[in-house]
Amino acid sequence: MRWTVVAASTVLAVAACSNNGSSGDGGAKPTQANNAPAKDGGTFRLGIVEPTAIDPYNTQESEGTLVTQALFTGLTSVDADGKLSNALAESRTPNDDCSAWSFKIKSGTTFSNGEPVDAEAFIRGWTRAAAKDAASDVAYHMAEIDGFDKLQDGSATTFSGLSAPDATTLNVKLAIKDCEFDLRTFHTVFSPVTKDAGAATNKTYNDQPIGNGPFKLDGPWQHNSKITLVRNDSYGLTKAHVDRVEISILNSANADQLEYQGFQAGQFDWARMPTEQLGAAKAVYESKGEFLNWDANGMNYILPITFNGPLKSKEAREAVSYAIDRDAIVSGVFKGFRNKATTLVPPAFKDAYQPGVCASCGKQDKDKAKELAAKAGLTPGTKLYFGYNTGGGHDAWVQAVAQQLKEVLGLDVQIDGIPFKELLKKEQGPEATGLYRAAWGADYPTPGNFLNPLLSTSAINEDPATHNVQGDNRGRYSNPAFDALLAKATGSKDQAERNKLYQQAEKLAIGEDLALIPLWNRTQQRVANTDKWVNLSYDFNENPTLSKVSQK
Amino acid sequence: MGRYLLRRLGQMVFVLLGATLILFACLFVIPGDPVGSLGGSERARDPAVVKQLREQYGLDKPLIVQYGTYVGKLVQGDMGEDYTQRRQVSEILMPKLVNTSKLAVAAMAIDVLLGAAVGTLAALKRYSFLDTVVTLVTTLLVGFPTFVIGMLMLNLFAVQLKWVPVIGDPSDPVQLILPSVTLAIIDAALVARLMRGTMLEVLRADYVKTAIAKGVPKRQVLLKHVMRNSVIPVVTYIGISFGGLMGGAIITETIFNWDGVGMAMSTAIQQQNNPIVVAVATWTVAIFVLLNLLVDLLYAMLDPRIRLS
Repeated sequence: MRWTVVAASTVLAVAACSNNGSSGDGGAKPTQANNAPAKDGGTFRLGIVEPTAIDPYNTQESEGTLVTQALFTGLTSVDADGKLSNALAESRTPNDDCSAWSFKIKSGTTFSNGEPVDAEAFIRGWTRAAAKDAASDVAYHMAEIDGFDKLQDGSATTFSGLSAPDATTLNVKLAIKDCEFDLRTFHTVFSPVTKDAGAATNKTYNDQPIGNGPFKLDGPWQHNSKITLVRNDSYGLTKAHVDRVEISILNSANADQLEYQGFQAGQFDWARMPTEQLGAAKAVYESKGEFLNWDANGMNYILPITFNGPLKSKEAREAVSYAIDRDAIVSGVFKGFRNKATTLVPPAFKDAYQPGVCASCGKQDKDKAKELAAKAGLTPGTKLYFGYNTGGGHDAWVQAVAQQLKEVLGLDVQIDGIPFKELLKKEQGPEATGLYRAAWGADYPTPGNFLNPLLSTSAINEDPATHNVQGDNRGRYSNPAFDALLAKATGSKDQAERNKLYQQAEKLAIGEDLALIPLWNRTQQRVANTDKWVNLSYDFNENPTLSKVSQK
Repeated sequence: MGRYLLRRLGQMVFVLLGATLILFACLFVIPGDPVGSLGGSERARDPAVVKQLREQYGLDKPLIVQYGTYVGKLVQGDMGEDYTQRRQVSEILMPKLVNTSKLAVAAMAIDVLLGAAVGTLAALKRYSFLDTVVTLVTTLLVGFPTFVIGMLMLNLFAVQLKWVPVIGDPSDPVQLILPSVTLAIIDAALVARLMRGTMLEVLRADYVKTAIAKGVPKRQVLLKHVMRNSVIPVVTYIGISFGGLMGGAIITETIFNWDGVGMAMSTAIQQQNNPIVVAVATWTVAIFVLLNLLVDLLYAMLDPRIRLS
């Protein structure tokens, strides 16, 4: 999951609150044409927070991904709508039962140091990330590949599932069949690396990776200060247009504030804004076509504990959902800069999106809520735990939800604001109960990347010793019919067929069982200097389209 | 004097050891696994990776063993690796320490020079127009929170007037002006008020009257007798205020994107990035202890009645 680093700007929240309730249409695309004639040159400037890594073996958040994707090009790429296309792959073919994949790689492309990008370069990169000593946070995306476990526990040093019969063919044998495996290869952990990259612990490469992407580094990463990219003129695919990209690294506590101030001062071409200033920013920049507002790949929801406590029954969960007035919170707390969710799979996944699948997520219905609560034994005065992590700007809406539950159902809601690590520990434990704040974004563009990790039985992964949940399904929802639908989907080679199965699965887990309670979409806002740049838009990871942008 | 110094430095070793021990104990009490989630983000780590990292960082061992290992490495100058980027703590913190020191030294210079000068002038021209203005302005400033001053200055000089960049190169001295003034201004106001008060008292003292009666030139009375004696409480105050300066630095560093230890500390605490937390806290204690030693030495220089032994 690729969230941006948590920002805690409460200390500095100098309120510039403007109360312009915007229309809830969301998904507004930037107004300028995305295929305007390109003019080479110029320096594009923006600010990010210090990434965890820019070396593909451990790149994880949006910020690191921005840099790594500029430096590396893998087999596939994804556009803002979540559509997958070939990058270096010329074809990607599964066998009959999707237990093996064969990728044909474009021949003749090189790294920026002249080394050829062949199948071996991919094997090198993947093996390096999956090795034990890498302790990579993102290598789990390769977990389906045969031999991954042995690399992870250190009993092997080569990736037995990978082979290269010739320079342009990469064969992948899977231990877990997956007809959607090619989607994963879009993640930066699947990047090829040069021969001198060495092990993942090679600090020189960590700070100055040599890649095959549209850009290359101009000197090593200057930690907490800046990263400078220049166009890679020997790039094997469509070359970038800007000469340089100057990335300033900002303090994480108030990066959005600094980005916006930098934009106002003309120092940045792309910026986030503090939530309190969204209204003011929209008023100034929307008419100039410089304000971007869209529903991104992500969902905010409440995680109910389904194996334990007061929310064990689906009626109880529905009662809670009906009691929440999402519209009031969206306009009151978020000033209209979020869009209410009625699904788990967000609208960014156009082909699988089924608005209204969560019936209780529509309008608040106090009578229905009370009726369902009575049925579920969720009587007034019942204690209900509601945990959330502090420092992420969640306080206001959590309070509002708790207040609504108190008002409508008479529940004794016990709000518990604690640091994320502490919250995680509580969620994972066997005595977890009640509600938890949660959010999710997909790593690769498939509804399966929401449904599988969050709701499938295998994603509970209980530690037999401590009974802690080790997977991401911490509500411990388990439904064999749902699992069967997911298995059928991942076993299907046809994209349309897969989407249909995912929709059925979502209908079951969300529509009927309400295993998670959707709240609002991950809605994103940026200001972008469209006065100076064309083809400037956002990508799947919410970053500016560096490889396409060009001067006016 | 030499023995005094040696004794104080010897005490410092124990203070620092105590500080690391307390920090270790405190960090152990905090619930949540420091490597249980991804650095800075809201996601659980893969269990296999958690296991590997716990082994790698010795987190699977009892606290006392961890502490022993830490101290053992510390005396060799090794502060370990941080939990998110997996870089050497010293490598991460050194540039930050330099940045914060620059800020603190610049701020203290402004404190002392501006504060003392304004306070002296106000005392010498008591009840004049200047004195009234100084009293008014300093009272106003003392009541202002640091972040308001900082935000106002940044918005005025960087965002609106564009005299300095919002995001600049910390090695550029121009970039130092706004944050150091922000950090210093409240303290400078306090120093000015303190200076004015003590100076007025000293001016009334018998030895000053005697000196003037003896016909010592006014300049000499001021420099040798008045200034020297009025500055003692100010030195005490500045010694203490350095701690506050480090604390205030977090806000100033945040507003001006100054890559210093204050910011590093606040992020590290949120992420439970313990190696950074322990290192920064220990350094701060060390600096504080050293500074207080310096203040004690200054006392002896300023007031010959104070003997160090």
